[in-house]
Amino acid sequence: MVRARTISERMVALQRDAMVGFHTSSIGVESSIVAAVLAVEPGDWVFPDARGWYAALARGLPVATYVHHAFGSAADPAKGHSAPDHAPARAQNVVPPSGVIGAHLPQAVGAAWAAKIKGETTGTLALFGAEVAASGDFHNALNFAGVFGVSTVFVCRAQPGDDIVGRAVAYGLASARVAARADEVFAVVREARARKGATLIEVVGTEESLAADDAVVAETNAELDRAITEAKAAGLPAPATMFDDVYAALPAHLRAQRSLLGGNARG
Amino acid sequence: MGEMNLVQAINDALKLEMQRDPRVVVLGEDVGRVGGVFRVTAGLWDTFGDDRVVDTPLSEGGILGTAIGMALYGMVPVAEIQFADFIFPGYDQIVSELAKMRWRSGGEYAAKMVVRTPVGGGIRGGLYHSQSPESLFIHVAGLKVVCPATPYDAKGLLLASLRDPDPVLFFEPKRIYRASRGEVPEGDYTVELGKARIVREAKPGKPAVTVIAWGAMLYEAIAAAEKAEAEGIETEIVDLRTLWPVDIDTIAASVEKTGRVIVVHEAPKTCGFGAELVALVNERCFLSLEAPPVRVAGFDTPFPYTLEMDYLPLAHRILPAIVETARY
Repeated sequence: MVRARTISERMVALQRDAMVGFHTSSIGVESSIVAAVLAVEPGDWVFPDARGWYAALARGLPVATYVHHAFGSAADPAKGHSAPDHAPARAQNVVPPSGVIGAHLPQAVGAAWAAKIKGETTGTLALFGAEVAASGDFHNALNFAGVFGVSTVFVCRAQPGDDIVGRAVAYGLASARVAARADEVFAVVREARARKGATLIEVVGTEESLAADDAVVAETNAELDRAITEAKAAGLPAPATMFDDVYAALPAHLRAQRSLLGGNARG
Repeated sequence: MGEMNLVQAINDALKLEMQRDPRVVVLGEDVGRVGGVFRVTAGLWDTFGDDRVVDTPLSEGGILGTAIGMALYGMVPVAEIQFADFIFPGYDQIVSELAKMRWRSGGEYAAKMVVRTPVGGGIRGGLYHSQSPESLFIHVAGLKVVCPATPYDAKGLLLASLRDPDPVLFFEPKRIYRASRGEVPEGDYTVELGKARIVREAKPGKPAVTVIAWGAMLYEAIAAAEKAEAEGIETEIVDLRTLWPVDIDTIAASVEKTGRVIVVHEAPKTCGFGAELVALVNERCFLSLEAPPVRVAGFDTPFPYTLEMDYLPLAHRILPAIVETARY
């Protein structure tokens, strides 16, 4: 929690200084991300939104990798293809957030459904904000989750006055509403994960102050200092890398277009 | 060997691959017990059961969104969209998610799947059961787009699509689902993606035209070519089979030989795939051209119900284009 907040505060400052192009602050809503990720099974797949960027770090993605991604550096695992806070973390079973708000929800259902078909116990965790409850993807995800009885925990960040859990009834899902406190979120997500089928959890409010932990703050900041220095030094990915991973192999038309970049397109 | 139509050939490919690869899952509206609105998935549910042949709720965004999640987890979903006209509620999942998953994750994640959907007019389907939206997918980086015209190609291309590491949009020309018949080998074979086929060769010594077509319009091009022959014009027909990545080498070799090119497609002319093909031909074969490239296409209107045979670029519209281009 403190580590997530320390990183987010630092990234907000870096964005203000135009050192990174983008940051989705998670200040105040850490519990809905950190506690939820820690509460599900370690092998479960996590489908975060951009504000849930810390999910990958909670699972062990190195801060240095996160910062390389934020800077879009030559060492960014996404090769500078995607904006900050959309890092892939395959080793952690964390799917890179989409820029399309809510598009990941049916995918989280599909992954859990696939596990069910394969006879595996893997579940999925989807993180999102209350605004997503207006989208078609939200409806599709909850509807398919209910119809096919898949093991997905939906964790929705909400404000007092939102009523997101009310939707669960219509889809035949279990639901819970909980205050944005790590211990409470952890308990509710853990209970949901143990249940058969999907659960919609609404985490209400924000947590303005966290218990002080100067040691973690100092350690995280030192880690960030090193990571930022490294990311700046790494430089940008080679222009030709924009053609990587469009397809599994490079088709002829992309090879021809890539050759237009020449040896040093940016001069 | 046995004679099959397009529906039977696609069904055969699905059955074969589901037996071979336990990761293959078929999902869509009425694909299970009913066997698909065109019977393409008939019998699969009886053989493979609820887990691998899934009747879904009526929501293309839900079908495609969940199929992408399955693919991320390592399955090979085959999502059927009942008509290509209904793919648009799921278009965002295809364009923003499926096409970009490998790229945006720097190659860490991939979502390998096949989206099967019937396309095209001529079945009295009206404006919501007749469209040909291929160019809207060719324009999106990361997708492959296939459209077979013969049962042999349909089976071989579908097996190749299922084994290809990239997401494939597999457009099935529904007007010829049953009319297109031909010998289909039993068992396993593939038709390589990205390779066009010369269906009819232009003989030397006479004015000649290359006609590029795919799907149901291939047969209209063949009919027009037979009539053009009577007028002393040779027609070389290229069946693209894979629309993207396109086999420009085969096209260019043909156009360099004939000096003339016509593209035929059902989709509206403006920004249709014909526009790209003509541009590619101009880039590659400009000095070989004896006449301006021509597009014989659907009109820039919605697809009409009553007047569909006037809308479609049938042989009676292709023939004058061949004659005029040959005599330019």
